[in-house]
Amino acid sequence: MSFRKIDIDAYDEDVLLEAELCEPDPRDPAQVLSDAKQKQAAVRSTLAKGDIPGALGIALDSTPYGPNVEEAKNLTLQTVVSILNSTKSSEINNVVKALSQDAQDTLMKYLYKGMGMPGWGDVSGSVLLGWHEKLTEVAGTGCIVRVMTDRRTV
Amino acid sequence: MSAPEVYSIAKTPVTCHAFNADRSQVAISLNDNNVQVYSKQGKEWILSETLSEHDKLITSIDWAPNSNRIVTASQDRNAYVWSLSPDPLTGKLVWKPTLVLLRINRAATFVRWSPNEDKFAVASGARAIAICSFDPENNWWVARQLKKPIRSTVLSVDWHPNNVLLAAGSADMKARVFSAYIKDVDKRPSPTIWGEKLPFNTICGEYSSPAGGWVHAVGFSPSGDVLAFASHDSSISIVYPGGPMVYNIRISSLPYVTLTWTSEDALVAAGHDCQPVVFSGSEQGWALVGTLDDTTASTASKAPGARTGTVGRLNSAAFNTFRNADTRGHTGGDAASDTELLTVHQNTITSVRPYVYNSEGVVSMVSTTGVDGKLVIWDVNAVSALTGKMGGLRV
Repeated sequence: MSFRKIDIDAYDEDVLLEAELCEPDPRDPAQVLSDAKQKQAAVRSTLAKGDIPGALGIALDSTPYGPNVEEAKNLTLQTVVSILNSTKSSEINNVVKALSQDAQDTLMKYLYKGMGMPGWGDVSGSVLLGWHEKLTEVAGTGCIVRVMTDRRTV
Repeated sequence: MSAPEVYSIAKTPVTCHAFNADRSQVAISLNDNNVQVYSKQGKEWILSETLSEHDKLITSIDWAPNSNRIVTASQDRNAYVWSLSPDPLTGKLVWKPTLVLLRINRAATFVRWSPNEDKFAVASGARAIAICSFDPENNWWVARQLKKPIRSTVLSVDWHPNNVLLAAGSADMKARVFSAYIKDVDKRPSPTIWGEKLPFNTICGEYSSPAGGWVHAVGFSPSGDVLAFASHDSSISIVYPGGPMVYNIRISSLPYVTLTWTSEDALVAAGHDCQPVVFSGSEQGWALVGTLDDTTASTASKAPGARTGTVGRLNSAAFNTFRNADTRGHTGGDAASDTELLTVHQNTITSVRPYVYNSEGVVSMVSTTGVDGKLVIWDVNAVSALTGKMGGLRV
């Protein structure tokens, strides 16, 4: 009698699907990937000029989110972390204050994503934590709550 | 500009509260299955009655001011309507409960009387809202359910002044406006900004905040033309359906779980941040105005009892601070203030309700209850600026 092993929830017609809660990225996945690569190149050149706020602005603008765009998401994460690593700790405060609210929320999402990657603690732990402290001072705990609630995960 | 009146009613969290029409009594749920009715005696609230009928925790209470009836909703999937009637034996007035069969198969989460007090709406975890109206033929409350397109628990409801439209905030991240028109109970409503000719269960609008998040609280403005909702992504959204415009204000503190409008252009919201906050605006835009909780004044009154000893170098407060740090390991302040919040409420505020209406129908005082067991009455005009973001935060 295998009915004891049936996954009854799979047959539930009225179940709430993830797709209903979050709208996926409207752009085509290939398009998203090429956008991410373009942004990476743009950020590299801006960083070379020493323009941290500009680089961060480019990287945090229209980030990939949701399902189907894993590669683009990882690429954008690398780009963002490279900017974070190259900022002097004394400048972090000013850079964070200059960001728009949307950019602040997105930056916090990347900080948490970076902290969540296994093994990253040894490599960039102090950088991520330092940015986290300064960003929370400016944007408050509301920013952190928004990262936790937002279904548009980066 | 008066200081808030603070009453420490209970040692347990207060889930919800409802005042009667003249504010002489308040019905409270202390996170259990009884309704505690407190009466005001002088300056204190004394427990006058306990109403026991529910089997499980009471999640929401509402007291109809004109017909003097209490409706309670509980996790036991029932609602009771309580009315005062003379006890046949003693002749005293007692609260008599009437069961309302909601036909839901999950807990009821929220309940509100309609403005005319002939219907009430019960939000539930069964992804439905039960609209209950009284059937005089059978002497019985009849429930009809609003189901589509709700996809998850309904967390709160609010009635439109025309007694027909209902706003509902749900855990599927959406705030919706439904029509709860019941044929024999309501007269055909005149067209509003939300639509006209609205049969039961029509959706007049569906809104959500950009970052998503459960919608904890919804409220119509006093005229009914504006909808506000507070969601779990620490934001408040104000919807002008005529525009159509949605203003989303992101806050830098923890999410709000309850809100109430004080006038057509201002509202008070409260929640996990433990202080009631005022927002104000118009069709042109909305912004945070300030908090009703003046944290600077309260720290002054809670200053540690000054050691009034003889004046001298060895008796100064500074010397005592260092001595405490050395001998007893106290670093800064006395031990009590290290664990107390700077705000009046020491824990999440669960419910904010209008308390006093002034002559123009504008709310001038609101009452709040919270998980710390306190009931506080605030003057809506005593707004002060929010202290620096980390000012009230103790990490």
